[in-house]
Amino acid sequence: MSLIEVNHLYKEFQVAKRQAGLWGALRSLLRREYLTKTAVRDVSFAVNQGEMVGYVGPNGAGKSTTIKMLTGILVPTSGEIRVNNLIPYKERQKNARQIGVVFGQRTQLWWDLPTIESFELLKQVFQIPDHRYKQNMATFADILGLDEFLNTPVRQLSLGQRMRADIAASLLHDPLILFLDEPTIGLDVLAKERMRQFITEINRERGVTVILTTHDMSDIEKLCRRMILIDNGQVMYDGELVLIKDLFGKERVLIVDLEGETDSFSVAGAQLVKEEGNRKWLRFNRELTTASQLINRISEKYEIKDLTIKDTEIEEMIRHIYEKGLAVYEMNSCRIENNKF
Amino acid sequence: MVSIMRGIGLYSYMVGASIRAQLQYRYAFVMNILGWAMTYAGTAVTMWVLLYSFGALDGWIFWELIFLFALAVLSWGVCMIFFFHFRSLDQYIVNGTFDRFLVRPIHPFFHFMAMKFDVGAFGQFLFSIAAVGLAYSNLHLHWTWQWLVFLGAVIGGALIQGGLLVAISSVAFWTTRSERLYWVIMWPLKSLMNYPLSIYPRLVQLLVVFILPFAFVNYLPALILLGKTGRVFAPFWGALSPLVGAIFFALCFRFWMLGLDRYKSAGS
Repeated sequence: MSLIEVNHLYKEFQVAKRQAGLWGALRSLLRREYLTKTAVRDVSFAVNQGEMVGYVGPNGAGKSTTIKMLTGILVPTSGEIRVNNLIPYKERQKNARQIGVVFGQRTQLWWDLPTIESFELLKQVFQIPDHRYKQNMATFADILGLDEFLNTPVRQLSLGQRMRADIAASLLHDPLILFLDEPTIGLDVLAKERMRQFITEINRERGVTVILTTHDMSDIEKLCRRMILIDNGQVMYDGELVLIKDLFGKERVLIVDLEGETDSFSVAGAQLVKEEGNRKWLRFNRELTTASQLINRISEKYEIKDLTIKDTEIEEMIRHIYEKGLAVYEMNSCRIENNKF
Repeated sequence: MVSIMRGIGLYSYMVGASIRAQLQYRYAFVMNILGWAMTYAGTAVTMWVLLYSFGALDGWIFWELIFLFALAVLSWGVCMIFFFHFRSLDQYIVNGTFDRFLVRPIHPFFHFMAMKFDVGAFGQFLFSIAAVGLAYSNLHLHWTWQWLVFLGAVIGGALIQGGLLVAISSVAFWTTRSERLYWVIMWPLKSLMNYPLSIYPRLVQLLVVFILPFAFVNYLPALILLGKTGRVFAPFWGALSPLVGAIFFALCFRFWMLGLDRYKSAGS
């Protein structure tokens, strides 16, 4: 029996069709045409207690919509959801007690009050017993360094501080499951690292099941063993991260800005994937060619003004899967089979 | 019973937090209260100027008009304290911050209502209590059982106006915007009620008695309280304010919940 079970989940929205120009805008005032947009399409997966799962996809892929259905905010169009044997949209308030939710871009804290007051209010709202509250506050203050800003109003916190406060707030009532919607968005490298460490610790020490959405691949690489990749509302891949890493982890993209005449540019050991004037995107396999070899080869012929190296991005992965056809559905069904035992 | 006590406890706790939050902006806090009191005093002066040249308005002398006006302001003050936060519901929906009310183990209506306890309403109290007091002594009133009618009018009036605020706010669940509607419906209705209902056309009278029952906020109760005879409706109607308020509020609450259902199925 899995902690979270999702079967053939669909979510459709009616979207008003926008018409071009002033005339179109006026016309749509009188008569609107609606389009049905399927945000989540036949999504099925199961998550076991204690797992940490990355729910990944480009913007608008249906990540947040799925999370909103799992938390009970949205009612599915069809399909089944069970979170620890509760149907979230039917028993929303009961479900709220067993989950913690963090929406990275929007705080759930009381904006104008000192941070500590939000914690006190949540203690009242969730009826957290005194001793649990004190224990939890002590632990979180320690790991997350909350003490330095407990008396500062939330509106004056830095983004990193606010995220730390938000995540602590979501865990005060000892939830079984933690939903993190873009928990590292906008954070600097250090704050990101700190956040990831905390999430790992919570998962390991308290056994909290974590589902996190992100479009930052490094979050997933550092945190999760399992990844569910969705695009256009559909599951593209569900399985061990190792497989994806084997396919994409070796690939890097080198972006160089060059000086002078660069038409018919090419370099051995890398594939030119994109160019805009003197800026070139070069994909290479870091097991066959190192970045420094590549840079050496380029600088023999050209003057390099600037350069950056990037991991494969999610959009790139998805395109790859579409083109080369990863055996998604086989893995998917195999996953579900495994969970039955 | 336990859950009611817990509800009251939680409400007062959240109200305390909300007041502390508003006190963070001391200047705005004071100006808000003073500003409202001054605005209403201004309207009262306009009435005085008006009556200075006419003597009486459809049989209502100056202090009677002041009483009529102050009664509406008083229940509006009570309404603001509890329900004014609903006016900003559309902002929560536009920003997507409304979701937080749906991931907590308490009723979203209650949670939203308790989020803000509008202390700006003290301006309304400042003006209306003073005005009712002055009218009471200038009109040489001696109430006994009428105090109950008065109390009923304040409670009923708060529920009627609060109900309309709630109903208007729920439009945002469909359209994501509802602030404009407040100015189109609520504001004209409130201004309308500053004067005796008898001066308006029949259609308007029927509207504010049977559809959006604002006549029960001040005009009908004032008829009893000031011992006047209404040409249109029997004075005892005014004693029904709390009942009408409760029914109207319940309907508006249903409408809000309907909106919430629609939000949950369509998102924003």
